[in-house]
Amino acid sequence: MRKRLWRPLSYQQRLRLLLLPYLSGILLLVALPALLSFGLAFFRYDGLSAPTWIGHLNFLLVSTDELFLLSIQNSLALVILPVPLRVLGAFLLAILLRRNGRFLGWFRAAVYLPSIIPSAAYALAWLWILNPLFGPVNLLLQAIGLAPPAWFADPQWAKPGLVLLSLWQIGEGFLVCLAALQDIPTSVEDAAKVDGANLGQRFLYITLPLMAPILLLLTFRDAILTLQESFTNVFLTTGGGPYYATYTLPMLIYEQGFGLLLFGSASAALWVMYVLTGLIVLALYFIARQWQIGTTEETFVL
Amino acid sequence: MFSRLSWRFVVRVLVTAVFLLPLIWMITASLHPVGRPLPQTLSFSLDLTLANFSRVWRLVPFGRFTLNSLLVVILAVPLTLVTSSWAGFSMAQLPKASQRRWIVLSLAVLMVPGIALWATRFLIYTKLGWYNTIWALIAPAFMGSSPFFVLMFYRSFRRIPVTIYEATRLEGAGVLTNWWQIGLPIARPTAIGVALLSFVLYWGDFISPLLYLRSESRYTLPIALQLLQQLSRSDWPLLMAGAVIATIIPVALFLLLQPYFARLGH
Repeated sequence: MRKRLWRPLSYQQRLRLLLLPYLSGILLLVALPALLSFGLAFFRYDGLSAPTWIGHLNFLLVSTDELFLLSIQNSLALVILPVPLRVLGAFLLAILLRRNGRFLGWFRAAVYLPSIIPSAAYALAWLWILNPLFGPVNLLLQAIGLAPPAWFADPQWAKPGLVLLSLWQIGEGFLVCLAALQDIPTSVEDAAKVDGANLGQRFLYITLPLMAPILLLLTFRDAILTLQESFTNVFLTTGGGPYYATYTLPMLIYEQGFGLLLFGSASAALWVMYVLTGLIVLALYFIARQWQIGTTEETFVL
Repeated sequence: MFSRLSWRFVVRVLVTAVFLLPLIWMITASLHPVGRPLPQTLSFSLDLTLANFSRVWRLVPFGRFTLNSLLVVILAVPLTLVTSSWAGFSMAQLPKASQRRWIVLSLAVLMVPGIALWATRFLIYTKLGWYNTIWALIAPAFMGSSPFFVLMFYRSFRRIPVTIYEATRLEGAGVLTNWWQIGLPIARPTAIGVALLSFVLYWGDFISPLLYLRSESRYTLPIALQLLQQLSRSDWPLLMAGAVIATIIPVALFLLLQPYFARLGH
């Protein structure tokens, strides 16, 4: 009797059961909230009372907000400026720390170390490092006779300050470049060396072409991450200021939603975020297709 | 002797030093004597003090916040290891077509903007009664924290030939036995990597406590830093002492696991 009601699962079925937490987590914590956030744009919702349908009013409200266009411009600027520098830095560091030598492990660890620092502590530290009066960077600039900028207190220098701060946390890109460099067989370079190619030629004609697809993928991936995750740094260093010089889309969404309790118009602004991310993903997809990477077993991990 | 110190080694030292600067500046500022004005020229003094750390402790209940942060990682990191390795383990043994579907799903999840989930996760947590509880901070651990971790595990599990599992199955081993006794030991470097990365993720998480916690007694260290900043905006030695407290544990853990780093690429 009991046997008929509860047949033991097969090995394959129990194997699939291990995916259950992952799948249900994705549904509850990613898919459902993502879908809800799309729909919320058509409602007035303050997080307390029940949402009421207001049609496209939120889109109107957001698109007529003066800060809206500015926040998109700032967001784009804070992606376009730092991302190529970050990828280039990660790549050059990976080349520098590619082969063995003394303390290689420690050198690599040191490059990764800033990426370990909690973002709140990191932002606070940079607020000190770039302090106009007492910060070590400005004292250094003064010592070598340069006029130090006011960084986060100056609308012109706040963005460069944020770019500078982001250049130290490139651990992940560094590791990806390092792993990709290890995949280049040494025999290729050795052959070139025998043929008399110098260091620069080997870099230009072997390393760079082989790494180009990875670097491009990394660039777009970093663009997505920077677009989405620059919030903490901005929130804790400049708060979007001075004079909205660093007011980004995530700041706008946060203030609309959790500051003014206008979750509806926050969601409307979110649509722009989706569009921007979607464009980057599309570019990523075409690049991956062109080079036949990202879809193969070995490189998908990007 | 000196010729052995190649130019490459010197460049490596210099570049590495630049990457250590933020941490060094953070630490030196935290040791600045209390009440002494900050220098306005480049100078170095050996007059250092630990007094700022006790001042942090007196001003804000940092002990409480540290305990909260520890509790979060103690729950979230093992949970992440179990759920993400389960998913990766299972994926690696599925038929090829299913494997591809799961990879695509994982990559799609990675692309969803985190900001898109802020407000609506808030609604879900409120409905579930998780708002203002520790569950709101560790909820993602139930799904392996990030598809990235699942993919990391998948990558290392798929190197194991399926025939090994079939052999043990003949001896009566179940799915969990295979996962625990064969899969995990082989994927140990990955497990250590995921453990470290998820530790850093939860320890440094600023957004979740900012959005989903209301009671000060439940705050974690990143929010404590913001609190400290609001209390004394320009007391830099004090703020840097707080930052050092929040940074020291992940950095110590990282240095402890550094040998695994050194092996990268071999």
